[in-house]
Amino acid sequence: MTTGLVFSKIATRLGYHIFDYIEYPSLIRGGHNTYEVHVANFEIDHLKPTIDVLVCLNKETFDKHSHRLTKDSVVVYDEEDFKVEGDYKKVSVPFKKILSDLKGQNVMKNTIALGASLAVVGAEIDELLKVIKEQFAKKGESIVAINKQFAQAGFDQVKKNYPQLNKWLIKKDKVEPGLVLSGNEAFSLGTVISDCRFYCAYPMTPSSSVLTVLASWQNKNNMVVRHAEDEISVINTALGASFAGVRSTVGTSGGGFALMVEAVSLAGITEIPIVVFLAQRPGPATGMPTWTEQGDLLFTVHSGHGEFPKIVLAPGDQEEMIKLTGKAFNLADVYQLPVIVMSDMYLSEGHKSVSKKFVDDFIKNYKVNRGKLLKEISNVKSQMSNPKLKSENFLRYKITEDGVSPRLIPGVPGYFYQANSYEHVEDGHTTEDTKYRKDQVDKRAKKWATYLKQDFKLPEFYGDKQAKVIFVSWGSNKGAILEAQKQLNDKGTKTGFWHFTHLYPLEREKVANLFKKEIKYVLVENNSWGQFGKLLAMEVGIEIENKILKYDGRPITTEEIIKQL
Amino acid sequence: MSTIQDFSGYNPTWCPGCGDWGIGIAIKQAFVQLGLDPSSVAVVFGIGCSGNMNDFLNAYAIHSLHGRAIPNAIGIKLANHKMPVVAIVGDGDCYGEGGNHLIHACRGNHDITVIVHDNGVYGLTTGQVAPTASKGFKSKSTPSGIIEIPINPLSLIITNGATFAAQSFAGDVNHVVAMIKAGIEHKGFSLINILQPCVTFNKVNTYQYYLQRVYKLSEDYKKTDLKTALLKSLEMNEEKFPLGIVYETDRPSYTDQMPQLEKKTLVEKERFSDFETLMKDFM
Repeated sequence: MTTGLVFSKIATRLGYHIFDYIEYPSLIRGGHNTYEVHVANFEIDHLKPTIDVLVCLNKETFDKHSHRLTKDSVVVYDEEDFKVEGDYKKVSVPFKKILSDLKGQNVMKNTIALGASLAVVGAEIDELLKVIKEQFAKKGESIVAINKQFAQAGFDQVKKNYPQLNKWLIKKDKVEPGLVLSGNEAFSLGTVISDCRFYCAYPMTPSSSVLTVLASWQNKNNMVVRHAEDEISVINTALGASFAGVRSTVGTSGGGFALMVEAVSLAGITEIPIVVFLAQRPGPATGMPTWTEQGDLLFTVHSGHGEFPKIVLAPGDQEEMIKLTGKAFNLADVYQLPVIVMSDMYLSEGHKSVSKKFVDDFIKNYKVNRGKLLKEISNVKSQMSNPKLKSENFLRYKITEDGVSPRLIPGVPGYFYQANSYEHVEDGHTTEDTKYRKDQVDKRAKKWATYLKQDFKLPEFYGDKQAKVIFVSWGSNKGAILEAQKQLNDKGTKTGFWHFTHLYPLEREKVANLFKKEIKYVLVENNSWGQFGKLLAMEVGIEIENKILKYDGRPITTEEIIKQL
Repeated sequence: MSTIQDFSGYNPTWCPGCGDWGIGIAIKQAFVQLGLDPSSVAVVFGIGCSGNMNDFLNAYAIHSLHGRAIPNAIGIKLANHKMPVVAIVGDGDCYGEGGNHLIHACRGNHDITVIVHDNGVYGLTTGQVAPTASKGFKSKSTPSGIIEIPINPLSLIITNGATFAAQSFAGDVNHVVAMIKAGIEHKGFSLINILQPCVTFNKVNTYQYYLQRVYKLSEDYKKTDLKTALLKSLEMNEEKFPLGIVYETDRPSYTDQMPQLEKKTLVEKERFSDFETLMKDFM
């Protein structure tokens, strides 16, 4: 799968925008694997219905994807391996012969194919040779040379036999540096920018690459990453670290999150900040591990026993992932509650080129806001006096106007407090008293009210304000919907699109006001229940009748949206 | 210098005669003797009669969920490895609900001290069997007697990598104090299994029962020898209860093996800012 990623990186280095998507079965080796890269002159976040260049390392690839080819499509294959029938631009590359001539292992086919693909799209080979040098430098000069040899052989074969092919991927005069980021990598980068210092996880597709990326960075950025024995331990370890004063986060998919919810509730009552990254895949149970779905929304917003506030955010692309990750850590600290950032396989494992300037600007402007966290004794003293209580204990759960109480980093001399999973009085001691119980329930609930006033964001609107048809959606469907709007507009149909990122809680009145009687609203979701639609009905009282729902494990496409409208 | 009084919170609500009283006093005594004060130690309580000590003991503390005290304690240690971290838990809490966490805390040699109140029953839920109950023990959940044999906590943790395994008896407070002090001073994962009569729900494992079956390890006992320690820990299967440090060995603790924690604790560190280095991976 790294072969496709290299193509994405090269296209980005040449000044183009990419969006890519991988499909693979839940197997260690073998099965049908594809890597689809969409390259454009402008920013994109959707796939194309047709394939311009299909690189077939075996016949199965051609058979499975030929229905997406047109007469202008280029098919790269090895005629010694199989024949291609049909009206396409056929480019035969002698993979087998090159392998045997250069005495290469089968895996080198990928490198040959990369070289050949660059020739097919009219790019130079320099960037590929550079990437090979960067990737294999650690393994020594000879490995670099061998890889270069195979890349060059594939490239030369195409140049020699098909000199009149396309000139699509010519290096741009002005190249704005870009990062090729998967959603998981965007989250990982976001956590480090947010000064999160502790990550804990148990591997689970499609969230695992957050664990591997952050683990690989530990010695560079001094973060601590723990691969714990199960997801219950994962979140409880993170809560311990957060209690001790360190920004902490965990990552998982639906099944792992199911194990965590007991501790989501613990975070709720102890008011220990925590960020949970939830990359969804189709359930129930083990479901379809390497495919995509948005089936965990209602489970997430209702996760945890008892009544306590939490915040659920869902980015629609890599840039939003970085921004919302940064915001999630601030919200968790400011409101001292669990914040869940929802992704799905499509967003988590697919890549998009993100302008480096965007990330640099985000880093420059990001402010770590730790809310009412106290590190110094002098700060503590001002919080201590409460005439109603005789105790001089630190009032960790002090009743306040905004519902948020001061929090103290353990170790500050002269004080102590307990983060109590039982209902408690202001200083943290256990209570079963009716008044104190009610006070604390109300206090926790106030945090939601404060959040809705201060930090809740209404959905982003895209398209035509006057449109009579408006899409309503969330998460990774964004790209396909934006493209559908563009294509519909070209055909004279104006549409609008409410893209929700702050999913829960919802500000009832403000959200309800977005919906007008005379407009046709169309809910677009990658699940079978229309879960966000149900949430809107429950929280806001809005029912959306028209639904475009997809739940076969694949992402929703532009064409499906247009067709079902 | 702190005093017992500094550590004393609310008055305990334990049943008169409960072994928890002795353990509660011993914990405070050990903290005082180690020169700790309520601001310099972190304690995580499980759920059960033992966990109810949360209101009786002053410290920076989490009163956690049933079974989850150990991962909370590990998290505190990873964030601030200079702070002593103690988990106060029960037998059902630690050996039942949280059994998986226990095994893996041993493997990692996380530098935390786990104090287990082992009374063979679930007191707080009115007397069902715990994983440490003797085979055949009759309780509300096992009216015909428990079918399972009891867990052997010491052999379990020794074989999974704990570097300190001790046993004590709530009826001998001085011994409990000595074991807790040794456990906290030990660098690495330490566990003290404290035999403790439940006067309300356990009519078998009484003070008399234990007094007849406990004995202190002799002066020349070789606590550093793994095989000796294993044989010693297996004596519990025959209702013989050795008291003392059954096993102790040196192995670098989890945080000792993390280069990023060599100089400063995670919570003390400066904010990382060299993002260019990380972004290179994506270009």
